[in-house]
Amino acid sequence: MILGDFGTSYIKFLGLGEDNTSPVIIPANKLPRDTRVSLATGHNGKRFSDNYVNELIALARGGESLIPEKDFLLLDCGSRDIKFIQYQNGQLKDMGWNAECGASMGFTIELLKRYYDLDYQKLPVPEKPFSVTCGVLGMSHIFDAVINGISVEEAVAKFVKGIALNAYRFAGTPAKLYLSGGLCDNPLFVNSFPCKVVPLGRFVLLKGLEMEAGTLNKGTNNS
Amino acid sequence: MAASTITRISRATADWILPAAGLKEVGIVGLPPLEIIRFLNEHGVRIHDLDALLTRADLETSAPYLPRVYCAILRTVMVNSLHLDLDAIFIDVGPGKCDSAFHVAAVLEDALSIPVIRTENTDMEKFGTPLCQAKMPLFDKMLAITEGVKSADPLDTLPPSCPPSFGFWGVPPRDFSILQLFPDTTHVYGWTRCMENKTPANHALEAYCNPDVPTVFFAQTFCAKTALAKLLARKHPCGLYLDADVTAGSSAKAKIQAFLELRGKPT
Repeated sequence: MILGDFGTSYIKFLGLGEDNTSPVIIPANKLPRDTRVSLATGHNGKRFSDNYVNELIALARGGESLIPEKDFLLLDCGSRDIKFIQYQNGQLKDMGWNAECGASMGFTIELLKRYYDLDYQKLPVPEKPFSVTCGVLGMSHIFDAVINGISVEEAVAKFVKGIALNAYRFAGTPAKLYLSGGLCDNPLFVNSFPCKVVPLGRFVLLKGLEMEAGTLNKGTNNS
Repeated sequence: MAASTITRISRATADWILPAAGLKEVGIVGLPPLEIIRFLNEHGVRIHDLDALLTRADLETSAPYLPRVYCAILRTVMVNSLHLDLDAIFIDVGPGKCDSAFHVAAVLEDALSIPVIRTENTDMEKFGTPLCQAKMPLFDKMLAITEGVKSADPLDTLPPSCPPSFGFWGVPPRDFSILQLFPDTTHVYGWTRCMENKTPANHALEAYCNPDVPTVFFAQTFCAKTALAKLLARKHPCGLYLDADVTAGSSAKAKIQAFLELRGKPT
């Protein structure tokens, strides 16, 4: 059984059972059009599977599986949007999915890295961020700052911190949050949050799909 | 009409209401006082609920009159008013509606050549809320409640009631498609319940919700009721705040689906 998390920029696969594999990542623009999986999530998931799990459910199931606490907040920062799940006493307390004002943040951060040839592992967290609400609108802050003599590195770092603060506020300013998505590998982004952050990596939704697949199989076996 | 008032605001309205000759098609916005609905019913006047989608005209045709960043329901009112052949409009602008409707009344008056009559519905006689507590598809339930505003009569037959598994709090959404996601055992709260009860200014009833029932607190984006929806969702033990503009996007629908599933939607 192949599971697929069809994100905007990257697709993540996991094989279970006879197809057992470690998670595999490929860029979305390299995905063969005839790809089919047993169970899918993500923006483009419905095109590649007959069995679709919505991203918030996959995120929640992944969080239930990976996080030991009964009270937690799990924030997923993707290429295109941000979403969070909050649990209290082991039950869903709140959730959010911001596809507009959190738009294109992960995508923009990666775009800037390539365009300016930056290494986020080496950029320090700036003291002050730009006030940005989304990747697209925040770009003009960078261009203005560079025109006014600020280095590209510092301008982009301010932008990234602004994006992180926006995500933090969207999640309800928690004291601690678990982070999901490709930005877990970006220390500038992770360290820009003004709270404790526990990065879980980019396979949390796949883990959630794995839990859902287990439920599906149990249902099939019982019927 | 002891507690309600009619204010004539247009030059053309001076003596129109008595007699009702010439009135065949009227639009209503919000819930005008029962006395007016009864009057229109008795005189065989056809009522159009302008809050609902009544024409296929583009919502953008309201743009010359209202900002694009405005309540989608009231933009719909504007479009309906521009495209339907109406003899008059009754728009409720009292405590049972909203400040935005108060201002839209002035816009309608300026844009149209028909009488625009402001009303303030403070009716408190309870009609009951059997539809809100009925076991039936939420889409049909909402349709029946909104259809009910055009009649001064109570329901002929009461639908079977059921214990609630979920709650939908708020106004009837502009995009009814989100309602199809809910189970038939969803109870309706908020201003929609006030609509069925024919007491739109009953703020205690509007603020009522059941703490034992997982509830989606819905408001139209750019509507002042978003503040109340957010407050109630925050105080509710299991509430989800949700707003949607013209149409509900995939993220809004995904939130509802996830909420229903993670809180145990009955199969």
